Amino acid sequence: MSLFMEDPAHFSKSRLKLDLVAHNVVLPPTKSRKEIYVDLYLKHIAQKNAGDFSSDDEDQEQDLADKEEEEDAEILVQSCLTDDDLKAALLKHGVKAGPIVASTRALYENKLRRLEQSEGQGHVNGVEKGVLYSDSEEEEEQGEQEDGESGSEGAKEETAEQSNQAQQGSSQPSQEPVKDTIEEMFLNMEASPTGICATRRRPIKGAAGRPVQYIYPDTPTSPTTLERREVERRLVPIHIQILVFFILACLLYIIYVCVEGNSFSPFVALLDSLDQGSESEEGLMLQAETQDTPVISGQE
Amino acid sequence: MSTTSQKHRDFVGEPMGDKSVTSLSGIGEILGKKLEQQGFDKAYVVLGQFLLLKKDSEMFSEWLKDASGANSRQAGSCSQCLTEWCDAFL
Repeated sequence: MSLFMEDPAHFSKSRLKLDLVAHNVVLPPTKSRKEIYVDLYLKHIAQKNAGDFSSDDEDQEQDLADKEEEEDAEILVQSCLTDDDLKAALLKHGVKAGPIVASTRALYENKLRRLEQSEGQGHVNGVEKGVLYSDSEEEEEQGEQEDGESGSEGAKEETAEQSNQAQQGSSQPSQEPVKDTIEEMFLNMEASPTGICATRRRPIKGAAGRPVQYIYPDTPTSPTTLERREVERRLVPIHIQILVFFILACLLYIIYVCVEGNSFSPFVALLDSLDQGSESEEGLMLQAETQDTPVISGQE
Repeated sequence: MSTTSQKHRDFVGEPMGDKSVTSLSGIGEILGKKLEQQGFDKAYVVLGQFLLLKKDSEMFSEWLKDASGANSRQAGSCSQCLTEWCDAFL
């Protein structure tokens, strides 16, 4: 006979579940009352353990490791699900899951667990409210402890659920739709603790066939280029420069010839020769003769 | 609007091609190594995981935290980076 009698009524619901599964007992539906688990436990396991009591240390260790066991119980339950079952279960909770592959399975199992815990707590609270008025306070305390435990380990990083559970403690089952929306709001906040919202960004210009929405200016001009353009605008265009040059050249040539000729007739002769164009030598000869004749006439 | 880092802008500004996983915003050397150990050696493999989770920012952040030990800020940054890249190029 042992000194310690395990009282299953003092165990948490998840602990009972784990023990039942460990002893290959078929579990009742998830939302059953704790008493059902206790009954099953007493039926199957208490008889087995009657002869099994060896160490008292086990009890203490088990109490300490209660948190982990709760997790393991949930994991056991959910890893028995096939991919399709997992997907269907998530769909029941309103979550449209993507493909359940090796890398995504763990995530979806976690999600399902979290959803079931939050829903289970809502249900348990509702049930216990009815129990409050009829049963002793002990059960209520145990129930709250159980919620606290599963709540703290289930919440992990999400403070949203903790504050949510506080709300659940006081809310009635009829307020579940409101609770869900608040949960969603909190979840959103948790996802962006630094206030970063993943809003849709305007598409990059020209990418993936999208039309250019923002046209960048042409390559910016350097200061020297700008200066050069300014200066060039003020200068006379080059064609006009060349034209003016030729006109001036002709004028100067004419003036030179006039200076050399120094009389009207050679000027005319020069003009004639210029008109004729190709007889430049004759023009010069005429010039020489006409120049000589006045000189000769002058001398005589 | 939130400010984005230079790394974020560099990643979102062009197709990722064959970029390494450390080119993702929020993923540095240490996280990059952890991801590479698990087989996520290129940015497009991480993109694959992001798409598998139906581009859900939250789930992807959670996965990244589990897989690489990233903190919330890093995971959020990476998530946002991939979301915007998908908006632009996918």
